Amino acid sequence: METNIDLKKIWNTQKIETPNVEILYTKANKLKSRSLLKLLVVNISLLLTIIFIGFIWYYYQPELITTKIGILLTILAMLIFLLPFNKQFSLLTKNKTEPNSKECLQQLIKLKEIQVYQQTTMLSVYFILLSLGIGLYMFEYVSKMTITWGIITYAITIFWFAINWFYLRPKAITKQNAKLNTLLVEFEKLNNQMID
Amino acid sequence: MNFETIYKTYWQKVFRLCMGYANDTDAAKDLAQETFIKVWKQLPKFRNESSIGTWIFRIASNTCLRQIQKDKKMPKSELPLEIKDEILETNIEKDIQFLYHCISELQEVERIIISLELEDMNQKEIAEIVGLSEGNVRVKIHRIKEKLTQKFKKNGN
Repeated sequence: METNIDLKKIWNTQKIETPNVEILYTKANKLKSRSLLKLLVVNISLLLTIIFIGFIWYYYQPELITTKIGILLTILAMLIFLLPFNKQFSLLTKNKTEPNSKECLQQLIKLKEIQVYQQTTMLSVYFILLSLGIGLYMFEYVSKMTITWGIITYAITIFWFAINWFYLRPKAITKQNAKLNTLLVEFEKLNNQMID
Repeated sequence: MNFETIYKTYWQKVFRLCMGYANDTDAAKDLAQETFIKVWKQLPKFRNESSIGTWIFRIASNTCLRQIQKDKKMPKSELPLEIKDEILETNIEKDIQFLYHCISELQEVERIIISLELEDMNQKEIAEIVGLSEGNVRVKIHRIKEKLTQKFKKNGN
């Protein structure tokens, strides 16, 4: 090669005005409050539901053990939904020192795999617990109805659960996983560039 | 070191790195902004495990690599349309646009490595930022530079 092109010289011709630092502060604060708001809204709404269910227990004083188990299972289902949701936020903020790019990609891949697992398994567990809980809870009240009405009530409830289980649940899982899986493929691709 | 000094010292550098990665002024500005938001948040936790420059470039590189999370489209390797007409004004601009274009045709990790090299980081620092061995980085830089030089020659510079 006779001539050496001075790439560095060309590179350094790129000049751009440094934006005002205040703009950055505003943006950062906005982002911070937005993610905090999301966390609060989800937690508070589920907490209110739990309080409401607790109130039903206190106010109507159910007699049968099935009702009580039903209520507990329903609350458990909601807590199970809440735990990984909150954990996700601590995973995002936990990082102490910035990892190098290789480690960063590996962490991202791990995080995505955990999310795939959570969304598949946790969503199913959530549905099972919620259905069982509501089914048990209803028993006390249904048992006071005539047999025909009891069967109709349970038939409708089971039909509703079936729609959830066989239609809504797989649809939600496929949709969420499709997004995660494309990201996983992209991150794997980047990670492979690190080998060689 | 206080944040505003860091911001003033490193904005240009980080922007150029992002520009090398994304080949798009707006995208690069966004990436640089995101980088500095992270720097601002993490600065109180920074304990001089590495030099401040290495640390900032780590954040910048990771921000670039994570970008696909937000936008599935990868940075394009073509010159943006509106720039194509404007850039031919001066030779300097033409050269820098062509350089970005050539870099954008490289693999993502290579884009980061060459941008850091052009930003005058030494190979040890680049190895620390990217997480590859120094030897590996040296080989990669050599190969990338060869590719770029050939493209420039073909283009008649």
